Amino acid sequence: MRCLYLDTSSSFLYTGVVEDETLLCDRKIRFDKDLSTNALITLVTMLEEKNIEPNDIDKIILVNGPGSFTGCRIGITIAKTYAWALNKPICTISSLEAMSLTDDEFDYHVPLIDARRGYVFAGIYDKDNNAILKDQYIKLSVLETAINNMSDNFTYITNEDFDLKGNIKKYDPDILKIVLKYRDRESVNPHGLDANYLKLTEAEENLNGRES
Amino acid sequence: MKDIYILGIESSCDETSCAIVKNGCEEIATVISSQIDIHKNYGGVVPEIASRQHVKNVTMVIEECLTKANMKMEEVTAIAVTYGPGLIGSLLIGLEAAKTLAYLYKKPLIPVHHIAGHIYANNLVKPMRFPLLALVISGGHTELVYMEDHLKFEKLGGTLDDAVGECYDKVARVVGIPYPGGPAIDRMAEIGKHTYNLPIPLNDNSYNFSFSGLKSAVINLCHNEEQRGKEIIKEDLATSFQEVVVEIISKKVERAIKDKNIKYFITAGGVAANKGIRNELTRLCESAQIDYSFPAIKYCTDNAAMIAAAGYFYYLDNRISTIEINAKSSDILK
Repeated sequence: MRCLYLDTSSSFLYTGVVEDETLLCDRKIRFDKDLSTNALITLVTMLEEKNIEPNDIDKIILVNGPGSFTGCRIGITIAKTYAWALNKPICTISSLEAMSLTDDEFDYHVPLIDARRGYVFAGIYDKDNNAILKDQYIKLSVLETAINNMSDNFTYITNEDFDLKGNIKKYDPDILKIVLKYRDRESVNPHGLDANYLKLTEAEENLNGRES
Repeated sequence: MKDIYILGIESSCDETSCAIVKNGCEEIATVISSQIDIHKNYGGVVPEIASRQHVKNVTMVIEECLTKANMKMEEVTAIAVTYGPGLIGSLLIGLEAAKTLAYLYKKPLIPVHHIAGHIYANNLVKPMRFPLLALVISGGHTELVYMEDHLKFEKLGGTLDDAVGECYDKVARVVGIPYPGGPAIDRMAEIGKHTYNLPIPLNDNSYNFSFSGLKSAVINLCHNEEQRGKEIIKEDLATSFQEVVVEIISKKVERAIKDKNIKYFITAGGVAANKGIRNELTRLCESAQIDYSFPAIKYCTDNAAMIAAAGYFYYLDNRISTIEINAKSSDILK
């Protein structure tokens, strides 16, 4: 079974192909604003170098957020078009779920992504990667209190610069590990695939505020 | 010659659309998913919401189009897609989908300029002939384009501030008509009478337009009448406003037709559906004895059929791109 992994939810492109228990190829590249130019061509070049044709992929594992809204949409559009057009099974995982797998040293993992203005996208995961605090848009100070009340055996996992007290691990995805953990997750209809934004748009928030 | 089927994708603003057009002139199928009911809650298009809707809709719209056309991706000759100008987040969805399909099916990818698409909507009515003059009027654009031949675009002039459609929507809002109010102004203008004197904007010898002053004049007029305790007759205001718009547009079109010795005139864009403007431009062309065409009403607003029609001529001109192309929120028509 060949699984294609794709994550464009941050300023990095993380992609790779796992065949059975082996990582055949991967790319981990920071693109920032050039993601839309580079995401697909990087993926295609990676596949072509290994002589993998589009139809040789058996399942797609897509990270659908939270994270950069535009970044998420680029990966999702590529993946849902691929899965729909070639009728390939596809499943999604959260970016925080993937980040949490970085560590197996601490009891709790706190992956976090900057959501600006003192807020983060974060969750709290246990050693088996079960969500103890589900992924959410949360004030960083509230999250810090929550995890400190829960345990002192935890680590934050992030790629961004936060002023945090406690252990911090840098996120460098182990694509093989992530794919092996989640490749059997139930497939979804590609048409219904959407980003896991965890946050309404400002316009929607304002409208809801006016109505309530 | 073998028939050429272009699959077009358009997502530059708030419509997700896919179409298949044969040989640049025959529409096989078009599907448009409009977000207008969502954006009207906000008084205009919210870019982030538009992007979110596009990503939800994109594959369904393409599938529905193929089903309607009773075709398979394999039967498509090439894929045309709007790369710009437009809302960047929105453009990216159609573009990424098109790039992915081009890769998966090894099809040529043709990036199409949105305004070229609007112009080529006319080729779905009858074959375009040259030299032609195109008036592109929509919520985002107001341009006069001269074309010596297919894909040879020369911009003669354009708006210096607001687009004409934007001005219509704003005037509508002033008199309490919800977004998008432009079409309602056109309907009201039919029944009102000329009552209010509004300035004719940028009434000069250039091919440029300006609509922000006219918009301000309408706002001021409404405020002044209100202060005097007089009620604005909405229909009369619509008529007075539309007359000014029609006058300035037709004046510049008429001069361009004369200066450039035009034999064929076309109109394109959402505001090309405006009856008042259509009637006056028709009269103008008939009196100048030149041929003209308007796109069918359904092809005035954003749609992928026009992108596929333009894509055919891009394809013949070998304007094929790699999958590294990026979307551009603004770009010159060339």
